Amino acid sequence: MSEHTTYKTSVKPVWCPGCGGFGLLTALTRQVLPNLGIPSKATFIVSGIGCSSRIPAYINTYGLNSIHGRAIPIAQGAKLTKDNLTVIAIGGDGDFFSIGAGHLPHAVRRNIDITCIMVNNFVYALTKGQISPTTPRLRRGEGSFLSLEHYPPVDPILDIVSYSASTKASFVAQGIATDVDHLSYLLEAGIRHKGFSFISVLSQCATFNAPGMFDQIKKNATYLKEGEPVQMPAGSEEAGWIHDPHDITLALKLAEAPLLEKPHLGIFFQGNELQ
Amino acid sequence: MKKNLTIGVAGAGGDGVVAMGSLLQRIAAAEGYFSQMPRYYGAQIRGGGSAVKLGLNADSPSLPGDTLDIIVCFNWQKYFEVKQELHLGPETVVLCESEPPVEISLPKASFHIEFTEKSQQITGKTINKNLVALGLLLDIIGFPPERIKEIVEADTDLHLVKDHWDAVTAGIQLSANLDHRDLILSPPQDKTPKVILHGNASIGQAAIDAGCRAYFGYPITPAAEIMQTMQKELPRVAGVFLQAEDEIASTGLLIGAALTGAKPMTGTSGPGLDLMTEMLGLGVSAEIPMVIVNVQRCGPSTGIPSKSEQSDLNHAIYGGHGDAPRVVIAPHTVESCYRLTIESFNIAEGFQVPVILLSDQWLGQTFTAVASDSLNQTYPIVNREKPAQNETTEYHRYRLTENFISPMANIGDDGLMYRTSGLTHNQDGAPAFDAETHNTLHEKRWRKLLPLCKRNDLVLNLGNDKSKRGIITWGSTAQVIRDAISFLGIENDVKVCVLELIYPLPENVATFIRSVDTLLVVEMNYSGQLFHYLKSQTDLPKHSEVYCRPGGRPFSVKELSEPLRKLAQ
Repeated sequence: MSEHTTYKTSVKPVWCPGCGGFGLLTALTRQVLPNLGIPSKATFIVSGIGCSSRIPAYINTYGLNSIHGRAIPIAQGAKLTKDNLTVIAIGGDGDFFSIGAGHLPHAVRRNIDITCIMVNNFVYALTKGQISPTTPRLRRGEGSFLSLEHYPPVDPILDIVSYSASTKASFVAQGIATDVDHLSYLLEAGIRHKGFSFISVLSQCATFNAPGMFDQIKKNATYLKEGEPVQMPAGSEEAGWIHDPHDITLALKLAEAPLLEKPHLGIFFQGNELQ
Repeated sequence: MKKNLTIGVAGAGGDGVVAMGSLLQRIAAAEGYFSQMPRYYGAQIRGGGSAVKLGLNADSPSLPGDTLDIIVCFNWQKYFEVKQELHLGPETVVLCESEPPVEISLPKASFHIEFTEKSQQITGKTINKNLVALGLLLDIIGFPPERIKEIVEADTDLHLVKDHWDAVTAGIQLSANLDHRDLILSPPQDKTPKVILHGNASIGQAAIDAGCRAYFGYPITPAAEIMQTMQKELPRVAGVFLQAEDEIASTGLLIGAALTGAKPMTGTSGPGLDLMTEMLGLGVSAEIPMVIVNVQRCGPSTGIPSKSEQSDLNHAIYGGHGDAPRVVIAPHTVESCYRLTIESFNIAEGFQVPVILLSDQWLGQTFTAVASDSLNQTYPIVNREKPAQNETTEYHRYRLTENFISPMANIGDDGLMYRTSGLTHNQDGAPAFDAETHNTLHEKRWRKLLPLCKRNDLVLNLGNDKSKRGIITWGSTAQVIRDAISFLGIENDVKVCVLELIYPLPENVATFIRSVDTLLVVEMNYSGQLFHYLKSQTDLPKHSEVYCRPGGRPFSVKELSEPLRKLAQ
């Protein structure tokens, strides 16, 4: 457990019991950073605002818990002026897909070597349960939505992974906070990848998710393996194709799968690395 | 012989108006003349009116005069768009291609000259008409052809004149037939060649000299030349330049860069400062050294992007939520753009605070010939205090020190890892939510800036120190005050205080205010922002007034003469 003590600070997380944030924190401090052997001093973690954005205080590297939606520009500024740093931007679905959505496509086209981790818990939890751009529209009768005080979403979701794949980020992956080993593997691959990496982390909000929603995601989730057939949503007529993470067309096809019906976990796309 | 001459050139886009003005300014600068040349455009990007007003000074730098001594007009229709800037008086010598419309009655000494026909005749093209006019002007103001030739031969940037010497010569020869008053420029007092640049370029150059190696910006009028300068210069010093997707991002990039130890800068104008304000708050909270240049234009909202105003002072001092102290500095000349940019970096680094450098469109875009030594003086360079060697065992990023400034590690430094935040934070940068820590943090951020109140060197005093009649002003308006005082000959009757450091306010400003019976504040905005700020800082004399109006048109010596005369009486 020595790595654990090295990478974790003594600050106690503010998260609710059962929060997906713990999965990400464990992945980063127990596996990713020790496995990659990146020294703490050469790592910079910058976040936005939201539950997951509290994470810099808990990891013993250089860190900044910045302002809502702005982790990506700050991350790029650090990387551009000190190239030997490992720079990780962490935020939630509100951060990266609502208030800060304008920064993401530009980070993608610049392809600066930073890793963007989007913790998607489908809700604004820090402000107590408002809808986010990724809150799914469940059908009537599927249970109360978020908390009772809030209205259900009226607009379709912005699908994070299909968005990232469509902008051709040089590395696109999706993990789940409840499978720390697999998430760690994705994070390591993303950080190692030279270029802009985008990793979506499906994360449960123990307090505000619609009942059963995350269980459904977990139940339907399947893993992508290079060279093996892709699992299709239940009831799909289409046969699964062979997964090739170097083919952007297939990545876009993967991203089209409705998240609640078929959450794919793994590397969607990995393009050429920077020289 | 004239010590000062003001020359206007007006025409349509494509007439070569700006090129002609720039060539004339450059030739005069090589001879040692000071000058300023504002440019005026119509609202269109292309095809609108284009005009310059070049003021040449043999002795000391001053603004172009209110009324022109000479005008070259290629197009009277376009002249209408700029006529308030290019004012014709009874003594103005007019050199024009066509008859003016009936609304304009020309002064006595007006001459019809076929610049275009001459250009066609001599060079086979009409496009060199501006060079024909240039030759004529140079002869009228007394530059001998052989001297012009020498200057042109020595300066590759004047190759256009060299390449079309036949057109210039044809212009020189036109002069013989014209009968007008003496417009010969006196020999310059100091023959050292002058350097031409505008405030925006001056700020860019100073940033490089101050050690800035990272610039992030978003294009905006009238600050775009700062970005262009940095884009050109930074690669030569292994710096980083990036055009961001918006001003929020550019300021975010600044913060990331500053944390790694870089000295970053961005440049913008009012609408961009609006977007930067949230990052400004984070910069104040987390104590990030960075420099934001705001080249002010007419507001609010889009306002008049290409024209000067001094209406962002309130925003610069107070903009943003939650008691966030920053530093506000304002240059008033192209030379002070240079010096105060270096000062801005020094203060940002020394006090770990965002600094807003408030320039304005006049300073930013007026081509000015200045003494070359004003830009290569060496100023001391300040860098942020780093943690001591023995601090690595127990480094606290926001350790409370006697001067409230805590040594700052760079990301990447060994053994000094810290986390910081826009949340209220403790000495380690970890979030804290208790009132005591919150109060301590406020005290730290406000009190660390107090020594700046002793920076009495960042206030410029002019006039008679013993006078009981005082003028306080800032920015490019200070130049008009200087010229108006000299025009009225009231140097001994008033004293002037030009603010460079505006926030926090240096102590000697209050001393100045206490020492006068009558105070006049002059600024270019509707509401008197500086006046109200000064009122909030100290008691003003019973007889205190503000002369203020919105921008859109520069102050003229004539306009400011009225309130100044009243003050001096």
